[in-house]
Amino acid sequence: MIKVDTKAWTTMVAHAESKFPNECCGAMIGRIDGDTKNVTEAVPLENAYSGAQGARYELRPEDLLEADRKARAAGLDLIGIFHSHPDCDAYFSKTDLENSCPWYSFVVLSVKGGRFDHAASFLPNADQTAAEKEELLWPKS
Amino acid sequence: MAKVLIPTPLRQYVNKLDAVELHGSTVGEVLGALTSQFHDLRKQIFNDEGKLRSFVNVYLNDEDIRYLKKDATPVAGSDTLSIVPSIAGGATSVAEPPTTLSQEEILRYSRHLIMPEVGMEGQLKLKNAKVLLVGTGGLGAPLGLYLAAAGIGRIGLVDFDVVDFTNLQRQVIHGTKDVGRKKLDSAAETMNDINPYVHIDKHEVALSSENAMDILAPYDLVIDGTDNFPTRYLVNDACVLLKKANVYGSIFRFEGQASVFALPSGPCYRCLYPEPPPPGLVPSCAEGGVLGILPGVIGLIQATEAVKLILGTGEPLVGRLLLYDALAMRFRELKLRKNPDCPVCGEHPTITKLIDYQEFCGIPQQQPAQPTAETPGEISAVEVKAKIDRGDKFQLIDVREPHEWQIGHIPQAKLIPLGELPKRLNELDPSVEIVAHCKSGVRSAKACNLLRQNGFNRVSNMTGGILAWSDKVDPSVPKY
Repeated sequence: MIKVDTKAWTTMVAHAESKFPNECCGAMIGRIDGDTKNVTEAVPLENAYSGAQGARYELRPEDLLEADRKARAAGLDLIGIFHSHPDCDAYFSKTDLENSCPWYSFVVLSVKGGRFDHAASFLPNADQTAAEKEELLWPKS
Repeated sequence: MAKVLIPTPLRQYVNKLDAVELHGSTVGEVLGALTSQFHDLRKQIFNDEGKLRSFVNVYLNDEDIRYLKKDATPVAGSDTLSIVPSIAGGATSVAEPPTTLSQEEILRYSRHLIMPEVGMEGQLKLKNAKVLLVGTGGLGAPLGLYLAAAGIGRIGLVDFDVVDFTNLQRQVIHGTKDVGRKKLDSAAETMNDINPYVHIDKHEVALSSENAMDILAPYDLVIDGTDNFPTRYLVNDACVLLKKANVYGSIFRFEGQASVFALPSGPCYRCLYPEPPPPGLVPSCAEGGVLGILPGVIGLIQATEAVKLILGTGEPLVGRLLLYDALAMRFRELKLRKNPDCPVCGEHPTITKLIDYQEFCGIPQQQPAQPTAETPGEISAVEVKAKIDRGDKFQLIDVREPHEWQIGHIPQAKLIPLGELPKRLNELDPSVEIVAHCKSGVRSAKACNLLRQNGFNRVSNMTGGILAWSDKVDPSVPKY
């Protein structure tokens, strides 16, 4: 289970809405307690995809490295990646799967007409052929 | 001992450690030591063939080892290695990159496909690559021809010029039939004739601070085939800001140079030349000439580097400036270092967005031409002709070189090449007005300054030089 606290969630939703109609992306930082991943901070990162970003995103490894360093410095862990699907449901697409990695939780935020709609989290396998849905808890307003 | 930082999800395979210290003199050795000590980690980061999994990047401190020497990158005891995944995605699969070649493409590229360094994998990399060529002139011509032939999938061309007769001596992508056509149209037609599988984007603009980021962004790498300093600095800075390789080349007369700039691991053009030369000091090819074959050699060095970068093979020309002297037929190499104080790629950059490059290079903003109001110290070719016809007493000096004089000259002019002017001042009468001219007006402007500094007060520069004379006064004087 992955649980996102209010501060981190506000950051993620604001980032996703501000980038609409483009996809946004970022890193999720927090702590793993047993079976629960607690996200306490979200780090918006630049969508580095070098084409139309309405339905694509790319994370720069350097940015992820920096986010990981930031987490380590604060005694926390990098535990997930988030991105948005503008005017599209929060599912794990073929593109998402083929460009994922099995180490992190992947949270997808559906943004419709510029407003957050719903979200889901996924755990891709090592061969990037399938992703399992993971329970996601966020502060419902 | 080098330190390897372990990402959170992989710590379960390394006894919950967040970092592991290991011996090894190269990245390959350190990773080998890591995975032989922690067996379960091995299949997380390597595939069955023992290669790093496609989503795994390894960083040595702040640099991706792909841009260093990959597995062979030397590691010192104080170094830190990080394992970072590459992650991307998107809601829908728009324009999925091709993963196969057609039978016709396989035939076309067969000489590539049978080389292990390229092969099917490499040819697909070329097909999926997006390369921007700034300029379709001397350097752009061989670049465009060979990159198209090599099967680069998408090539962007930036140019706003039309083909001129003076281009044909070196710009082999254009033919005699193309004179007067847009260079973009002519170049794209030739490239698609060589290889119809290449998608060509035509950017009919002058690259500027306003449009450069948008134009460069969609491409994987940029090749600089420009001939002026403002654009060269602009391309460099935009590449640094966008973290794209800038494959650089420049040519002059019999000499050329090439390097690969702006990769995170290496220096940029500003590390080599922090400041542009004063305007007019370095003549352009139009002013100084260029051996027609020279851009072929330099352009193809750039094309080679571009293809190597795309394939990820060989040793890129990063941190090295290759100098070519056609007269001596010698290549030399200078080592270049990344300048830690570089204003754009250094540790504390002061240039974080594109600036005004005309101003940076000391070139005044171009004013709209006003033919009636002449700037003091300048005179038009038509006015000079009128002075001659009226029988005005004045000295007309031609500051070009003797071989240019031979191509054509104004009968009333006296030849004093700019370089000889300082010691031939005694041939001029300070009490009589002087008009200086050259080919287009740059060298004669310098001559006028020099004369004024030496006490000649009544000096003017004939604007536009012999080219303007040919256009406005006497078309029988050939242009060159």
